[in-house]
Amino acid sequence: MAVELSVGLIAIGSGLAVGLSALAAGIAEKEIGAAAIGAIAEKDEMFGKGLIFTVIPETLVIFGLVVAILILGLAG
Amino acid sequence: MLKPYEMNSILITGPKNLQEKIIKELHKLKILHIVEHLKSELADIGQPLETTNKLSEIIVKVRSLITALGIKQEKNKFELKRGLLEINHTTKKLNEEVNKNFEELRKVEEQLSKNQNTNQELRILKNIGVPLENFTSYKSLAYFTGYLEGKNDITNLEKELSEITKNFMLFDSTLKKQTFMALFIDIKNKENTSNILQKIGFTPINFTNIGGLKGNAVANLEKIERQNTMLMDKSNKIKKQIEKLAQEYKGFLLTADDFLSQELEKAEAPLKFAATKDAFLIKGWVPTENLNNAISKLNKISKDKVFIHHEDAKKEDNVPVKLDNKGYAKPFEFFINLYSLPKYKEIDPTFFMFLTYPIFFGFMLGDFGYGIVSFALFYFLKKKIPKGAALFNVLLLSSAASIFFGFIYGEFFGLEEIGHFAIPHLISRSHGVTELMFISIAIGIIHVNWGLIVGFVNILKEHGLNHALFEKGSWFVLEIGILFLLLSYLNIIEIIPLIGWLFFIVSLIMLYKGEGIKGIIEIPSILTNTLSYLRLMAIGLSSVSIAVVVNDMAAGFFHKGGFMILSGILILLVGHALNIVLGLFGSFLHSLRLHYVEFFSKFFEGGAEKYSPFGAKE
Repeated sequence: MAVELSVGLIAIGSGLAVGLSALAAGIAEKEIGAAAIGAIAEKDEMFGKGLIFTVIPETLVIFGLVVAILILGLAG
Repeated sequence: MLKPYEMNSILITGPKNLQEKIIKELHKLKILHIVEHLKSELADIGQPLETTNKLSEIIVKVRSLITALGIKQEKNKFELKRGLLEINHTTKKLNEEVNKNFEELRKVEEQLSKNQNTNQELRILKNIGVPLENFTSYKSLAYFTGYLEGKNDITNLEKELSEITKNFMLFDSTLKKQTFMALFIDIKNKENTSNILQKIGFTPINFTNIGGLKGNAVANLEKIERQNTMLMDKSNKIKKQIEKLAQEYKGFLLTADDFLSQELEKAEAPLKFAATKDAFLIKGWVPTENLNNAISKLNKISKDKVFIHHEDAKKEDNVPVKLDNKGYAKPFEFFINLYSLPKYKEIDPTFFMFLTYPIFFGFMLGDFGYGIVSFALFYFLKKKIPKGAALFNVLLLSSAASIFFGFIYGEFFGLEEIGHFAIPHLISRSHGVTELMFISIAIGIIHVNWGLIVGFVNILKEHGLNHALFEKGSWFVLEIGILFLLLSYLNIIEIIPLIGWLFFIVSLIMLYKGEGIKGIIEIPSILTNTLSYLRLMAIGLSSVSIAVVVNDMAAGFFHKGGFMILSGILILLVGHALNIVLGLFGSFLHSLRLHYVEFFSKFFEGGAEKYSPFGAKE
């Protein structure tokens, strides 16, 4: 199955868009998560706030995915 | 629905001699949320009732018995006939009996573990025909017992020893591929022998548990075995006896624990009151609908000798909140409790969550097959774990929404056609990605603006129209500005961009006035918040993709036929099970997040205390 080089590059590009943004989200989330767990251990009521702060960077991945889809759309 | 129960603050004051009566009545009514009095110059906090010490003493005993007997919390129908007197009496009796049994059990088990050790030593000595009483201390004899490393060492040893002396006796036996030996030798040669033994790799063993035993090892072993069976019997009997006690007194103990906890709660209640030498004062909150009933009951029981004052909640009051939702919306209070209770004057968003949460969940999971599986799963779990009923009700509703969206997407376990029959659909998730993206963003815009409107109403109620306009209204102006800018720059309609910029700048000024510099900084958030709803499409897409991959893989195996069909079925089962779990987690959390982060941040303040009436169980 021969794939044109340009298609391959587009696939790599969209893969990078999701992968790198997921890495970024992970890095951002790890410290927030650790702190949030600490806070929850001290005080149960912090669960809601802890969850919120922890998942805030998650949006990055969504943006990455959207960009990936847009890139794939370019390829047609 | 959108507001918590209306509360009235209440003050009850009266002479000390009526205190106990009032406490009892309040405990029975279960409607007063007591506000703790803090010690001040005007009044100290009250003294606990006299019975407190006695009660705590017994409750400690009862609880230790519950732990010792391994009794689990459960519903029971035991009835106490004589209250505290009966508890005290029975507890004492039971305590003695249980302690006696445990003491006996301890002794038996000690003996058993001692026998275990002796048993081990006897097994080693079994094949050596030396009477046990010979392993004792001598004046003229020394003896060594232990393992030798090699097989031939025993002959070497014998040879070397005979070079020193003739006065020795050597016994040996093979145990688990090791050579065990016992050597008795003239005490004069002890040092020499010890050196020789060290050279050839000798590991000594000390027999500490056979002191006092006589005769040969085998007979002793049998004796100990016999003794052990007896001890085991005894231990089982005692355990059974304890088990019997646990069964017999389970109802009593649990009921007693319950009863004592309540009595103790009553006895310690004055610690929350304000008190002077002769009078007490209780502050608290009562739901308005129960107010009149409570006042008349208290007046009746005290023969109008207490003074009760009540008034509506004031603005600066820290009112405890009891959420007021009915029917299907009720279980969604779980999410609000998890997050933070809304302030008394705030809008309670439970009903909004009831409207949108299942939709978001279903939008993401959206598969007829998955919906049915998760519905069945949560129905089963709800029956199994009644404690989590609220959460499971939410999930059941969400599963139903998933089934509904499954119809819209025309999906059944990731399949869009069964055989050659294409399932009808309104929109296809795997092919209509762009459409789904626009729908997601549209949902986002609606939901975020919904949040802003609620925020507007909240501020309008609390601070008036001006604040509401600047703090929340400015966002609407901003959105209109962005809309005009987009329309004009994308040449969709012909208006000059200036109008858009005008709206934009006005909104900036309003925001700055309303929320200060913080508002300006937060401007991009409205965009990211809206785009965040793209996850509705994204989570669903990933779920569909995995399902399709699983189906394709399985189909490949099915085509090969024969045994491969079994592998195909396995892949289907494991793959879809995994995907359902992933999908449930994802949909649950992301739907929750969209509410907590994107929706609540537009209006929710929260932080109210939970209404927990005196006397009511958790």
